[in-house]
Amino acid sequence: MQVSLSWLSTHLDLSSYTLPQLSDLLTFAGVEVEGIEERGVASDKVVVAQIQSFEQHPNADKLSVCQVDDGSGTPRQIVCGAKNFKAGDKVPLALPGAVLPGGFAIKEGKLRGVDSMGMLCSGKELGIGEDTGGLLIMAADSPVGTPFNKLYPADVLFDLEITPNRSDLLSHLGLARELAALTGLPLTGERHHANASTKAEAAAEDQIVIKTAEACPFYTARIIKGVKVGPSPEWLRRRLESIGLRPINSIVDITNYVMMEMGQSLHCFDLDKLSGGIVVRMAAEGEKFLALDGQTYALLTDDLVIADGQRPVAIGGVMGGEETGVTDGTVNVLLESAYFAPSGIRRTSRRLGLSSDSSYRFERGIDPQQVQGGSELATKLILEIAGGSAEDVVQTAGAAPALVGEVTLDENRARRLLGTPDLTGDEIHGILTKLGLTLKSASKDESHWIIPSYRLDLQRSVDLAEEIARVIGLDRVPSRQVAVASPVDAADRTYDFAMGLRQSLASRGFFEAQTLRLIADAQLADSLGGGQGVAVKNPLSEDHTTLRPSIVPGLIATAALNIRQGLHRLRFFELGRVFLTLPKGGSREEERLAVLLSGPVSPTSWHGREPQAADIHELVGQIQNLTRTPLEVRPAKENAANFLLTSELRAGNRVLGWIAQMHPARAREINARHPVYVAELLLSALRQGSAGPTKFEELPRFPGMTRDVAMEVPADLAHAKVAAFFAAQKHPLFVGAEVFDVFADPSGTKMAKDRKSIAWTLTYRSAEKTLETAEVDAAHTAILTALEKSLPATVRR
Amino acid sequence: MLSELDSLKTAALAALEAAQDESALEAVRVNFLGKKGSVTALSQGMKDVPVEQKKEVGAKLNEVRTAITEGIDTKKLALQAAQDAKAVEGIDITLPGRPGAGVGALHPLTQIRDLAIRTLRRMGFALAEGPEIETEWHCFDALNTPADHPARNEKDTFYLPDGRLLRTHTSSVQVRTMEAAKALPIRIIAPGAAYRRDEIDATHLSVFNQLEGLYVNQDVSLGDLKGTLEYFFREIFGVGTAVRFRPHFFPFTEPSFEIDVKLEAKGKDARWIEIAGCGMVDPAVFAEINKARGDNLFDPETTTGFAFGLGLDRLAMIMHGITDIRHLIENDVRFLQQFAA
Repeated sequence: MQVSLSWLSTHLDLSSYTLPQLSDLLTFAGVEVEGIEERGVASDKVVVAQIQSFEQHPNADKLSVCQVDDGSGTPRQIVCGAKNFKAGDKVPLALPGAVLPGGFAIKEGKLRGVDSMGMLCSGKELGIGEDTGGLLIMAADSPVGTPFNKLYPADVLFDLEITPNRSDLLSHLGLARELAALTGLPLTGERHHANASTKAEAAAEDQIVIKTAEACPFYTARIIKGVKVGPSPEWLRRRLESIGLRPINSIVDITNYVMMEMGQSLHCFDLDKLSGGIVVRMAAEGEKFLALDGQTYALLTDDLVIADGQRPVAIGGVMGGEETGVTDGTVNVLLESAYFAPSGIRRTSRRLGLSSDSSYRFERGIDPQQVQGGSELATKLILEIAGGSAEDVVQTAGAAPALVGEVTLDENRARRLLGTPDLTGDEIHGILTKLGLTLKSASKDESHWIIPSYRLDLQRSVDLAEEIARVIGLDRVPSRQVAVASPVDAADRTYDFAMGLRQSLASRGFFEAQTLRLIADAQLADSLGGGQGVAVKNPLSEDHTTLRPSIVPGLIATAALNIRQGLHRLRFFELGRVFLTLPKGGSREEERLAVLLSGPVSPTSWHGREPQAADIHELVGQIQNLTRTPLEVRPAKENAANFLLTSELRAGNRVLGWIAQMHPARAREINARHPVYVAELLLSALRQGSAGPTKFEELPRFPGMTRDVAMEVPADLAHAKVAAFFAAQKHPLFVGAEVFDVFADPSGTKMAKDRKSIAWTLTYRSAEKTLETAEVDAAHTAILTALEKSLPATVRR
Repeated sequence: MLSELDSLKTAALAALEAAQDESALEAVRVNFLGKKGSVTALSQGMKDVPVEQKKEVGAKLNEVRTAITEGIDTKKLALQAAQDAKAVEGIDITLPGRPGAGVGALHPLTQIRDLAIRTLRRMGFALAEGPEIETEWHCFDALNTPADHPARNEKDTFYLPDGRLLRTHTSSVQVRTMEAAKALPIRIIAPGAAYRRDEIDATHLSVFNQLEGLYVNQDVSLGDLKGTLEYFFREIFGVGTAVRFRPHFFPFTEPSFEIDVKLEAKGKDARWIEIAGCGMVDPAVFAEINKARGDNLFDPETTTGFAFGLGLDRLAMIMHGITDIRHLIENDVRFLQQFAA
């Protein structure tokens, strides 16, 4: 909200406060100061001057030499670069010694050899408006020689953020009231007190009828006849302009002024355009309404309207109608002042996307007791400015609701909550009293308070405690720290496990990515793991429509971005949540780790210009190192469109995740230079393998012996089959086997195309003794015999 | 014989001197000391030496043999040393090291989050978590946010077709934790993603990262809140950091504050930077949790607590002077490798 310091100063004298002090005062009252703007000039040395004559500067095409009357009786010569004036115009003149906004000091001097005894100013140079491309041309009746700041008083504009609980601060009077409470300064201006003196009279049914007291419990109307609508006087226009409101006509300006002065939003109807009395009712389904903003709105049955005998003439508390608004031709007006319930206003304003200064206030809640005061202030100003005569009475329907009452403060509890045992009862009472609360009664540690009608936020004991905290500030509260031992739970263990994985990957050359969990439909085909994501009902753009079912799409986008930057050795991982739609409805969230790998096995360097490009075994190996459990790679029967070599990664009967090569066609789309490999692992499955402390296994006391075996097998015999054979061998001396060579010759010259040669090292050991060669030979022969029986293998002996 | 031995010694030492490699050295050994070597041959002649000369000749023989053996050993060491020196000849140690697998990095957000978590764990907070797809009750109702609150609409919040929503803050984990709690105290932190329907620009992401904290017990006071968070931010930003609490408003805390820390930007005056929101848990939240639990574990008469929340993306930006929040989600390696610790 924009707040003018000079406007505020009509209510209390803040001259003893500097701007930083005022800013701090507001800040620590809970009102955030988002900006401070100084307007106009404080210096008396800027005066109104009249241009008597001017001529072209002898040495400069773009300059004029002006003779001006500054009110002193002696003509003054000024060189000026503007062109938008004529002889006789009144313009602001900065005399030597004046200091303009921004600290620009004016001096006598010569411009291109011609004396210039000051400067003629634009509005922008004086901090009162935008650049209009020339001098500020002032009203013809502006008295020559008058200090400019008498006509355009200097002002300071605060841009304040008022929290939603403090609707009472959404006006200059409201803020002044708060500042008076905090500073102890007296309020000096009009209070527009709740006790309006105008006689109120319940309206006849055919004048005002409220059909929906819940949405509008209180409605008042004042008839004013014979007004003459025109431009507002200078002071009123300036007040509104100072806080960024555009003056329209005197009547509309007055209603806006009253809103910004005391927070009561009003509406004026052209009485002659209304047919019949006012009906406050809910709209009919689909009822059309042409609002002041020129838009037609289709209303629903939970929208509140103000109607006349025939049609809606306003959306209650939100916006008036185009057809019944006040125009320059309006003679008789009906001034509405009412209390509208916040929830209905919020609903309607949100649904229609229609927000106004009025709805902003009603939806946060206004003081019901100010409804008549607002009407009275507006009536007084209309009579003063637009003339006419008001009916003696204000017609009312319903009654102002009592939204606040009495609150009991448990003072000991407040002290405990705030951690201020030394806060005395007197101090507490002093604080609440200066905030406008009235002490009704007090016992030892309990006090009963009457809440002022504008403090809608004070409903409970704790609300009063908050006020005390706000006023004393946290400087007064001693800092305290307790030590609490918290048991480690699942979330802690998961976090530590995940951090371990992250650090392990980072130390092996991988960069951790963090991609958005909301991805585009087009990215879904990049998913690994087969689940379906969760679509959002109201996405903001087609780039972010679905909660990801897989992290891989994000990593592929990351790869694409880095390839565009010229990077082709890609090592990325991301650890985070994915979202899966369950077949029976609902969804599941799970933590996963995804890895992407492409390009040379090591960064290029002077050792070797082109290190070998990684293949899929590189990624399998990286995962193997990460999981530290024997990994089973089980090829899938089918590949999704964007992948090849899709396989399930398993450890025993646990599915750990999936691995695949990005389809070359897809890799070409992102201009990948090398094959791209991806994997996605389930964090919970990885963790299962690492549960509990490791149990120590005795070291072998006797040396093992190894035997190598080379064999020829069909080219399509999977390694896994051979590995499974060895894993199944139960010979008491056999410890295990490892593959150390795989050779195939696709050209068919060294070996048939459909054959390949593989070689394994087998290890034998006994726990009791050092083995004899003969014992090992016997065991080895037994295993090789079994091998040839079980597998289509020819052992080379 | 003595003179023969002397001349053999001279010859052997000359041969050693001339030997340029191991094999030449071995040849010298074989020639002189080997089975058929000349020293060996002479020593076989000992039996013919007269008794009175035996002692002298024997001593001489030993002397010659020792001299040659030592000569061989010394030469061996010298040859080895020369070879060792040659092995490093021409190496330019100023060349760059081998890159190995290269250097990766943790994402700066991970690093900041971990710093915050480690700090808060030292202060006795345990981790907690909750779903990102939430019910309206957990995200809003239980947190004292009225049904017609401005945040609760499709303009600001992502909804699913089934009426659930993407949590707009990690505060919903407060609710999850209190709902499931078996006893007091509760002292948890919950890092996690949250969602708001904001267009992505230099300062906004539609998915961002928060860290939530909650401490509930008997007689938790504003003093505890202040002491805890002052300590936390000084651990993060440095011992001397000024921390201030500005009154603010949140539906689920009363009183509520925003926290600013005073930080110096390079070449600028220190200024207050908004860093977190916090407050004392509103008794209405406890009442709503009790209603859902069907007991009175969070008796609003005796139970109090504080809660706080901070934006981790913002914290990372402030810490590292990152000017555009989008860097945090683009994962450009040129950005990421700046944070390789």
